[in-house]
Amino acid sequence: MFKKVFGGNAEQKVIDSIKQHMQILYSASECFKKGLQEGNKAQMYCVADLEREGDSVRREIISMIYEGAFLPFLRTNICRFVEIVDEAFDVLKDTAFEFEYLGPNLDQEIREDCIQIAAINQQMCDMLMIAFDTLFSKGDLREKTLAIRIYEKKVDDMKFDLIGRLRNKEVKTFWEGRTLSDFISYLTHISDVIEDASDYLHIINLSMR
Amino acid sequence: MKVDEIMTKKLEIISAEASIYDAIERMIDKRIRSLLVKPGDAHDVYGVITVRDIVHKALGKNLDLNKMKVSEIMSKPVISVDKGVDVEHAIVLMTKSNITRVFVNEGREIVGIVSLLDVMSAALINRAREGHGV
Repeated sequence: MFKKVFGGNAEQKVIDSIKQHMQILYSASECFKKGLQEGNKAQMYCVADLEREGDSVRREIISMIYEGAFLPFLRTNICRFVEIVDEAFDVLKDTAFEFEYLGPNLDQEIREDCIQIAAINQQMCDMLMIAFDTLFSKGDLREKTLAIRIYEKKVDDMKFDLIGRLRNKEVKTFWEGRTLSDFISYLTHISDVIEDASDYLHIINLSMR
Repeated sequence: MKVDEIMTKKLEIISAEASIYDAIERMIDKRIRSLLVKPGDAHDVYGVITVRDIVHKALGKNLDLNKMKVSEIMSKPVISVDKGVDVEHAIVLMTKSNITRVFVNEGREIVGIVSLLDVMSAALINRAREGHGV
């Protein structure tokens, strides 16, 4: 429907760029997960690189929209969606940054859970792309956003469990505790941001009716 | 889809010698409805104690929760499926045995648990992914 009503060249360019933006987010989350699995700090630099790439795509998208793509009443919501996806990049970058300081100090038991959360975050990025595609097909967007909410709930449950265990963990310095706490907060916040983005897809869908 | 793809790996384990009160505390703290009971020795098998056991076999009979042991009301052996079986098989087993969760084993070891909610969530995610690969 999206494409049918607003299917001009400028609109198509924006749609392609948004897909590219989300694809970069997926790559960044994949790269993050790999770095975490391998316990490799150097691997994490790709997250910052991809975040910069994502930033530049976001600027292009916003410019194209305000140069005239899409009807004005749709522009705000589309821009907001793109901004939220960009926020996911920022949180992912912050998580990778904290990991650089944490590295080998991450307990084996906590590490396993963190890898699982990183894997769910990656699956959520993929589901967000599927949900975005649904705007142009006959697919059921509600079904996709529900899947994203299920993933988010899983991360939420794991977060509370992790925090409960971390409270009993002894830390030697202020920064050791602070870094670990920030790492877990950022890692578990990514799913919230992706859920927010999927909510915006729902709003965009409604505004086109 | 195989059960090990959707199972929860985190298991709460309690000793058969622990009191029912200990079990209740663990369930409330962890917000779960069952605890895996560890085998007494190498020849023993795993058991399970559920909220249903506690309500019907202890609380409902007004028994002393501090004196009663987990071993007195637990079910043994646990109903489990191999980690490599299809989710459909676990569903059939749950329906047949009228249980809401099934343990997952790898050889003699229990490595996870699959609940009805896990099955439902996995089915919905699968449905959302239909025709999109991955």
